[in-house]
Amino acid sequence: MRCEEIGELLPDYFEGSLKAGQDSLVEEHIAQCADCREEVVIWKKLSLLPVERLGAGSRERFEAMLSAYQTGRSDKASAGFGPSKRGLLWSWLRSPVGALAWSAALLVIGVFAGNYFGNRPTHSSANQDEIATMHTELANMKQMVVLSMLQQQSAGERLQGVSYSRREDQLDPQVMSALVHTLRYDGSVDVRLAALDALSRHGAQPQVHKGVVDALQEQQSPLVQVALIDLMLEWRDPDAAQRLRDFVQTPNLNPAVRQRADWALSRLN
Amino acid sequence: MLEVRNGTGETLGVLFDRYHAPLYNFYTKLTGDRTLSDDLVQEVFLRILKYRQSYEPGTPFRAWIYQIARNARVDHYRKTPRHITFEAEMVAPVMPKDSAQQSEETELLHRALLQMPEEKREILVLSRFQELKYEEIARLLGCELGTVKTRIHRAIQELRQNFKQLERGLAPRDAGPAVVKTIPPRRFGNEM
Ligand SMILES: [Zn+2]
Repeated sequence: MRCEEIGELLPDYFEGSLKAGQDSLVEEHIAQCADCREEVVIWKKLSLLPVERLGAGSRERFEAMLSAYQTGRSDKASAGFGPSKRGLLWSWLRSPVGALAWSAALLVIGVFAGNYFGNRPTHSSANQDEIATMHTELANMKQMVVLSMLQQQSAGERLQGVSYSRREDQLDPQVMSALVHTLRYDGSVDVRLAALDALSRHGAQPQVHKGVVDALQEQQSPLVQVALIDLMLEWRDPDAAQRLRDFVQTPNLNPAVRQRADWALSRLN
Repeated sequence: MLEVRNGTGETLGVLFDRYHAPLYNFYTKLTGDRTLSDDLVQEVFLRILKYRQSYEPGTPFRAWIYQIARNARVDHYRKTPRHITFEAEMVAPVMPKDSAQQSEETELLHRALLQMPEEKREILVLSRFQELKYEEIARLLGCELGTVKTRIHRAIQELRQNFKQLERGLAPRDAGPAVVKTIPPRRFGNEM
């Protein structure tokens, strides 16, 4: 391969996102070609550049800036902020969520607080609008927290995301489809089970039913399979019996799972 | 009201704790100037306060912060014409005591980086140090993913050329140890 073609692959090679075959193409080439090899070497050498740390005074400057900014703002701020609404926000603030989601949320809290205290008119006629806005922002914030946590590398954080989604009586559509996706594809059995548990509370929504019932055929874990079968029995979907009849035809099914499915079928008929 | 003000400060404070280090490193690598970088980090947090309404909940906020960071730098240079030098104010790498060779190399590398045109330097810093994915960089710079990759490759080619020239100019290959004397490693011990 020519250097130009290798050069096109290098950025992905740096990032480690090349397919296995292309990976070895690059490696074979750089073993032969000094120019391309030096490019790889210099990329790697960049990691030698030191991590710089802000001086200690920087945090103080930040605090001073913040306080100056807020002093400037407070003249305009409204005094009317119902205690129940504040309770809602602050109890949410204290809830244990993952660090990343947390900082994401903080930003939105900032947005919210800014909208609320900073730039709105102070007339009480605007209060209803403000409260509505606050609810929307709070909902968006929670949604963002759950969605971002479900994307985390660590199963523990994804688990937290799932359990956080349980706090809502209403399931946001995006959160719901994220939970269904988690139920189907998450690498951890624990997380899949938790997602199923969270979804099971929203059986009144037809799409939740569909997501759960569809998940059965793809599950490999006996634990999750049994939990799905039990839920299908509990919900008594019209097509549950047919789904289970198809399911027990699956070759190499775990005997305990097959037994459970047969038992569920007998209860459904 | 005081309670609420403290609360807002606290939330932004956590944001500061989370982001000041990546932002500071973004700026030091980009500008080579610690004082300026410190100022720019402060500016970013002031802008987060001022422009928080422009953040759309649900969109990646890391990209939003870097957008603010880039704008802050551009605005700064618009007001203050730049003159990049390699004098005392500039960043000198931290020297591992046991490895003069490596520290010299690190310094040359940073010089090579600072010699590059700003666009190329920025894309290297974003891709190598800021833990941004290429897709995120593409969104940030408003260009295609393929363009990002092409630009990274061109930048790395240029960095390699700059580095080689510096190496040749300052360190003839067979002059080895003498180099350490002619370029004494600089430290800013109190700052590290
Ligand atoms: Zn080559």
